[in-house]
This record gives sequence, C-alpha cells and structure tokens, in this order.
Amino acid sequence: MAAYISHPALSSLCKINCNINGIYSLISFSRRISISSVLSTSAVTTESEAAGRGVRGQRRSKRQAGEPRTERMTVDQDWTAVYPTAASFKPSTVPLPVRMGYPVKRGVPPAKKGNLELIKIPNFLHLTPVAIKKHCEALKQFCTEWPSALDSDEKCMKHFPIQVQSKEFVSAGLSLQNPDARIVTLKVKLSSLNLDDHARKKMIKLGEERYCKDTDTLTITTDSCPLRQQNYDYAMYLLTVLYHESWKTEAWEQEKTRADMEEYEWEDSPSQKNVLDTLLRMRPLGAKDEVEELLGQPAVQEYRDTMLRLKNEGETEENLHKYKEAVKKLFNI
Amino acid sequence: MTREDKEKGLWRSIFPINFKTYNTYHSEGHTGQYYMLPPAHIQKLFPYGLPPRFQLQIKTFNEGCVMVRPPALELISYLKRADYSKPPLRYVLYGDIGTGKTMSLCHALHYCYTQGWLIVHIPDAHLWVKNCKELLPSSSRPSRFDQPIQASQWLKNFKITNERFLSKVQLDRYVWTKRESTEKGQPLGELIDQGVNRMKSSSDVVGAVLRELRLQAGGATEGEGAFKLAVAVDGVNALWGKTSLKKEDRTMCEPEELTLIHNLRKMMKNNWSGGAILTALSQTGSVFKPRSAYLPNELLGEEGFDSMEPFVPVSVSNYNEKEFESCYLYYLDRNWLQHPHSRSEEGKKELIFLCNKNPSILERLCAAL
Repeated sequence: MAAYISHPALSSLCKINCNINGIYSLISFSRRISISSVLSTSAVTTESEAAGRGVRGQRRSKRQAGEPRTERMTVDQDWTAVYPTAASFKPSTVPLPVRMGYPVKRGVPPAKKGNLELIKIPNFLHLTPVAIKKHCEALKQFCTEWPSALDSDEKCMKHFPIQVQSKEFVSAGLSLQNPDARIVTLKVKLSSLNLDDHARKKMIKLGEERYCKDTDTLTITTDSCPLRQQNYDYAMYLLTVLYHESWKTEAWEQEKTRADMEEYEWEDSPSQKNVLDTLLRMRPLGAKDEVEELLGQPAVQEYRDTMLRLKNEGETEENLHKYKEAVKKLFNI
Repeated sequence: MTREDKEKGLWRSIFPINFKTYNTYHSEGHTGQYYMLPPAHIQKLFPYGLPPRFQLQIKTFNEGCVMVRPPALELISYLKRADYSKPPLRYVLYGDIGTGKTMSLCHALHYCYTQGWLIVHIPDAHLWVKNCKELLPSSSRPSRFDQPIQASQWLKNFKITNERFLSKVQLDRYVWTKRESTEKGQPLGELIDQGVNRMKSSSDVVGAVLRELRLQAGGATEGEGAFKLAVAVDGVNALWGKTSLKKEDRTMCEPEELTLIHNLRKMMKNNWSGGAILTALSQTGSVFKPRSAYLPNELLGEEGFDSMEPFVPVSVSNYNEKEFESCYLYYLDRNWLQHPHSRSEEGKKELIFLCNKNPSILERLCAAL
C-alpha cells in the first residue's frame, strides 16, 4: 500500500506511456521500478502483466479505441473544419462507406478501416465546393472589379481580340508540376487585324493549317519553350512577324500563277476567253463590238456569276441548274 | 395502233414511224410513252451505237422501243430551236449510272437522222483510250500514236450510217504517203474506202474526214452540198481523262498523244458552224474515276470543263412514277415478266424497292424474272 501511494505519479505515467507508441524505454524503465507495487492493485495493470512480460514486449497498455468521429458527425456539419487542408485519408473522420482494393477470393473490396490503398492515393477532400467558395470569399478582398464597360462578349472581342489559353494542372501527387502546363494557345480573328486583301491572302498562306476558314481564326500553339511565360512571348512574337511579313510584297510574288490563287477569278480565265470567242463568232459580220461592251451585257454577267459560284462553292445540282439557265440566256435558246 | 390498259387507265402506245411523227408525237404530254424505232433505221444508224443490253432487248422483242423522256425531249426541243448559222451549241448529258444518258443521246441522234443531218457518232470514246491491241507511231507526226483497228472500224460504221452523203461531199487535197494522195474534188466515199483498206493511215484519214466535215458543214450555198452536222460522243470525259495505254518504254500515254483523240478534241471546239454537238458523260467505262462521280466537273476535269464550256448541261435522272409504270406495263405487255408474283401489286412494289426506279437495274432485274 505504501508502495502504491508513494508512486502514484509513476503509475499514471505508466498508463499514459502505454498509449504512446515508441516510448518504449520509459515504459520498461517505469515497469522495472514499480512493477511489484502496481501489479497487485490495479485491474488495468493486471492486463498489461499478462500481455507484456519480456524486454521485447509490445505497448504496455493497449487502450481501447474510442468510437470513431464519424459516429458523432451530423449531416449538416461544416466539412471545411474536418479537412481544412490537404491531408491523407483518415477512415475515422470520413463518414463514407468507401471500399478499395482487390477482392480476394471472389469477395468484396476491403473496407476503409486500415486500408492502405486509400491512404496512398491523393484525395481532394479539402477542396469541396463549399471550401472553394470560402477561398473565393477570402480572396475577394484582393481582387478588383470587372470593368463595367465590358458587359457583352462582342465588346470583349472588339477590345481584346487576341485570346490566350493555357492549362493549369492541380496535382496532389509526388510532384506538383505537370509538363503540359507550358503549352500556350493563341487565337485571333483575322477580321480584327488591320489587313488589306493581299496581306490577308498571304497571311492565310503563311499560316497553312493554323487558319480555320469557317471561323476566320488563326490559332498559334507553342510548346517549344520550357516555361509558360516564354511560350507566351514566343506566340506573340510569331503573330507580330506574320503580320509584318504579310504586309510586305516580295519580288517573286509576281510569279503567282492561276493554280496558286485561292479563289477562282473569272477575269482572264479560259472560261472568259471561250465565251468571248463564241460571242464574237456569233455576232453578225460587219458589226464591230467592243470587248467591254460584250462583257458588260447582263447575260454575260449572269454567266460570270454562275461560273464563280460553280468553281468556288463546288458543284451541286442547284449550281448546275443555274449555270444551264445562264447559258441558255447567253445563246438565246 | 394503241393498246389500252383498262385497269390502270394509262396509255401505252406504239406509233408507226412517220417523219412527221417527231413533231406531232414528241411534245411534253408524251413523256412515258414508247416510241418505236424503225428496224431499217436501227441497222443503219446504230451499228454499234446502242447500249449492249438494249441491243439484246431489240433482238428479243423484235422491235426497238425507246421511252420518251424529258431529257431527250429537252434536247430535241433545243435542236429544233437553235440557229444553225452560229457556232454549234454543246449539250452535255450527265447523270448517275444507269439513268439513261446513252439512250437519250441515241434518241436525240435519231431525231437528227430523220431530219437528214450528217451523223458523226462515236459510241464510246472510252474504247479509244483503253485496251487497244495495236498502237503504232503515227505516220504523219512523230510524237503521236495511231490506233488502226479502232479507226478503221469507226470508218466502216460511218460509211454505213451516212451513205447518202458519201458522194456529195467534196474534198481537198491530202497526201498520205509518197505514192498515195487524194486529189482535190474527190468524194468522201473514196477517202473512206482508202482509210478502210489502208489500215496504216486510217487514223489520219479519220482526222481528215472530221476536218472536211467541219469546214463544210452548214455550207455557204443552199441546196446541193449543204448539210447539218451532228457530232455525238458518248463518254466524252475520256477525251480529257487518263488512258490505260502504255508506250513502248512503259510510260503512260497521254490522251493528247493519240491521233484519234486529238482530232476529236478539235471537233469538240465550237469554231465551226452549222450543227450541234451532243455528248454524254459516262463513268462506267472511264479510267481511274471513282464510281460516285457523275457531275460534269468531276468527270470532265479542269481541262475538259474549260474546253467544253460554255455548254448546256442536261440532267438525266431515274424514272419517275409515270415512267416506271410505263416501263413495267411494257414488259408485261411483251410477256417479259414471267414470274407470277411480278404481276401483282406487291410484286410491283418489290420491284420499285429493289431498283429505286433506276432504268438499268430495273432492266436487269426483269431479265431474271
């Protein structure tokens, strides 16, 4: 009894130490000192005597784990308080019946308790929509207002015609960085640039497959530099160079042939020559008509329109039909 | 003679041939009705001109009946109204496979024949750009190639078709070899005989014939010697496409290097007057063209289109309801449809479904019944 009284601190120390892993030496120390006195009286210590005898024994007093926190969670609790920051998966704090792993012997995937697979993978439990809203609210004080003049898409496009896109990657793995984050895409509509006819055609030719005819957009994608900032600068540089080069006219551009033309032009085409020839042969002998007069006739103009449509838009039944009408009018059938 | 089908209430008439019939019986209201081609005309005009299956049908039915259809009517109306002192108009029949382009062309050509025109008919230009057994270097020009077999065959057919004109057309002087030449003023018949006999120079003879006809068509003087020229080419896209012929050094032959094609291309231009150029496109025999191509631009190509225009495109399509009925009744009348189910309403619906009212497919289907 006296021994017990004289070592109350030691016994309590012993109990506490039992629950902490790794503090092995203290336990063994305290055990050696007070084992005789404590053993006879306390029910808890009787257990530990049976459990851990030798020097290599386990935790002394394995305390019962209390009920997990999930039991006490309400449905409308504040989740941001449970997972305020990025943390590993704790089965006792996440109230979801998650299963993960290979089902051994045709069974089911193992439960979440003590499941290493769940702990290994990155989780985003700290980034629920509520949490993000809170982040936004907190960041708002550092933001400026959206300019009130830019309230529609058209106005935005008008004042800021160049659109730059790049991707951010959120990674909760071993490394935070993703190499794809350096890619920068620059989109601009050619109608918003100050280009004349020749410059526009040249730019489209220089852009090759980067130009989309349907949306009139030039898309420049750069990924040759390691940093996003560098790629952005390179894309802007490319755009500037394209613009200035397309305004220049080189000496060899004079040699552009009909095959290089983007659109079919009726003037100086074989079609025009044929029509002229035919009309000249058709007119009665002696009447001298000027070429311009002949070409200026409405029937010829209509023929020209249908030819342009046929060649530029492609051949369809409808276009052919209109062509037929034009030819009939030309020859007065 | 008309035979009425009392159940359907539709007319299916066969008209006796009469030169006036073209005016009275070929108006808008007669679409769908069958027009009989007289046997004598068929023999003369179309020794090889008609589609092969139609020739078989003529043999089987003992008569050649052509359905009057809008494309042919359109062509004939243009031919009636055109002014023949001006350069010839070019008509191009186009349409999907099996819709009746060749038949319409032949129909219009028959009209020209009945009006007394001189017919230059090339039944299939594709035959001249592929599968030629003999390809000789040209006797007159070093860079060109001759096709003696095709040329002489064509000359024979030309002779049969245009017998009346052979003595009327007078020629210029032509020199063939050191010893042979055709003097000025000799009739066309002699030239053609020479071409048939002397195979070596037959392609050049063809060229000469075409040139003469071009120069003399719609001639300045009325009466004797004036004639209208109808040039009909089927498969005209062969002239500007690729050939499947190889030269001796194994390189591909261009169509331009073939004498026949070269001369025919000259014929297609409209720098002469007094006639008409009727053509039909054809994908069936064409070389290196996809099966779905049927529009003029696709089949003629850039070069062909530029050479042919301005032309009048005439579209030929599948049968419509009335025409299908007419064709079906014709086959029934001729006892061509032997299968009992084909005479019923359901059988007819099946036929419509199977062939989608395409003339050639319908014909092949019915041949099996």
